[in-house]
Amino acid sequence: MTENRVMAEGVHKAFGDNEVLKGVSFNVPQGTATTIIGPSGSGKTTLLRALNALDVPDAGVIRVGDVELDFSKPVSKDQLRRYRAQGGFVFQSHNLFPHKTVFQNVTEGPIVVQKRAKEEAEAEALELLSQVGLAEKRDQYPYQLSGGQQQRVGIARALALKPKVVLFDEPTSALDPELVGEVLSVIRDLALEGWTLIIVTHEIQFAKQVSDQVLFTDQGVILEKGPPAEVIGDPKEERTRQFLDRILNPL
Amino acid sequence: MTINAERKEKYDLSEPYSVGEGVIVTRADDNSVKSLDDIKGKVAGETATSNWAQVARDHGARVEAVEGFTQAIKLLNQGRVDLVINDSIAVYAYLAETGDTSVKIATTTGEKSEQGFATRKNSGLLPDLNKALDELRADGKLADISQKYLKANASGGPEAGQAQHAPLSTWQLILDSLGPLAKGAITKTIPLTVISFLIGLVIALAVALARLSSNMVLTNVARFYFSVIRGTPLLVQLFIVFYALPELGVKIDPFPAAIIAFSLNVGGYAAEIIRSAIQSIPKGQWEAAETIGLNYVGALRRIILPQATRVAVPPLSNTLISLVKDTSLASTILVTELLRQAQIIAAPTFEFFALYGTAAVYYWVICLVLSFGQGRIERRLERYVAR
Repeated sequence: MTENRVMAEGVHKAFGDNEVLKGVSFNVPQGTATTIIGPSGSGKTTLLRALNALDVPDAGVIRVGDVELDFSKPVSKDQLRRYRAQGGFVFQSHNLFPHKTVFQNVTEGPIVVQKRAKEEAEAEALELLSQVGLAEKRDQYPYQLSGGQQQRVGIARALALKPKVVLFDEPTSALDPELVGEVLSVIRDLALEGWTLIIVTHEIQFAKQVSDQVLFTDQGVILEKGPPAEVIGDPKEERTRQFLDRILNPL
Repeated sequence: MTINAERKEKYDLSEPYSVGEGVIVTRADDNSVKSLDDIKGKVAGETATSNWAQVARDHGARVEAVEGFTQAIKLLNQGRVDLVINDSIAVYAYLAETGDTSVKIATTTGEKSEQGFATRKNSGLLPDLNKALDELRADGKLADISQKYLKANASGGPEAGQAQHAPLSTWQLILDSLGPLAKGAITKTIPLTVISFLIGLVIALAVALARLSSNMVLTNVARFYFSVIRGTPLLVQLFIVFYALPELGVKIDPFPAAIIAFSLNVGGYAAEIIRSAIQSIPKGQWEAAETIGLNYVGALRRIILPQATRVAVPPLSNTLISLVKDTSLASTILVTELLRQAQIIAAPTFEFFALYGTAAVYYWVICLVLSFGQGRIERRLERYVAR
């Protein structure tokens, strides 16, 4: 019996008058990969950011790992910090710290924030860098890496926090096409290793291969959810079909 | 002008039209000065153009250099100096003109000073001038004039100026001035710059963060501060701290007063530089710092400020180099820094070009060294940026 690593119930978020999330609910079981697909502006990135409190929801209850917050009530900074610490976040444009080396980028969280023993954290960081294939780049600065390598460092930085769930915000959208594969294969390996992943993506084939669950968002709600064979292979909703058709046959 | 050996070299000087004697002026309620020997350990306000500064120093007083007699009297009233030694004529003139009763002539120094007319060398006007003066003295006109304007007779009799050593050559003067000017630079100009800049940076960081905060009160206080600093001359800021605050009972010595004014000034300008440098760092860096668990202070200290520094160093270097030169304004509030030293040495000799030129070279060298340091810091901060 697997526990849920993420449970979201009735999540609402508005920016000014623009209501981006209109009551979103879903669960993510431990050790599974969930992909979120949907048209631009459908709220998928906002939903992912809500799971790391980069955008704080206006209402709804979310549990990530061990921390549950009810956003319809006021939440303290301390609560947000503990909530945020449950997840690791990989940005579309990696957001590596340019003034720190690859190794320092990965160790900053474990050593400075989590105050873990330096030697242990460094050994783990090196292992993570090997895992994403960048051990020999440890002393380089981000600007010396290719886009794909930068994104893999971003993944290692998120994993170093030992999060209960790893959140990916369109991890390959900013990459040149020939660099997409190396990043996706790293993410696939993580799924196989049993990490709990939530991935916002436009890579439909990848979503199909990797996910245990696909969420299709449209106009601030989850219109359809289920295994990829259903949502992508045999969508029930007309809007899902239209979206997939546009993506898979752009012409 | 007062007759002395250096001036005799440069000009043709007539026989004296007035003869004064050195007098010591104190506050009216101060009875501690009965003779020249009593000034030991006290503070005298003296202009660099007179020999009175030397007289005061020779008798053990500490000399505070001032712009002129009126300023010296003002400082005397404020209690910043204990006494002023000057020519009796200047003092008579001041007392006659202002009716000031808060100060008094405590005693005389026993030294005479003579004032004569100056003409260009070999102008041929001297015999006529001297003849006219003799006539005025003979028929009592000179005494009348003195009575009218000074309320005292200071017309005196013709006396030869005391023989003094020959004035120095220009090169020797420059050479002799190198030490005192270096002292002004090392003990005043550079410490003023460094201390004001460091305090200014701390103020600037606080103001920049206030300006960027979501608290409207803080933001507006920061805006107001910058607006005032940028909208008023630095010289006026200096004068307010040094000359105006004593009226409110806040009396600050010249050096700390200069530090306060310069720090506040740098704080205003550097705040804008730091604010824009912080704002130039992409929002994604703040978010990435948040996602690895850093709080506001941690994100600022470890992620944002190190990157903002790279952006801020070139404009901050400009501020620092401007500050080096702006410290010369402290000469107006009695800080004997580099320019003031040059003024003091130049005044009795009239070698302005030599002295101010030398001072300019000193400033330039200091700024060259700073520019070199700026280049090195910039190269170091560029190490993580693609070229």
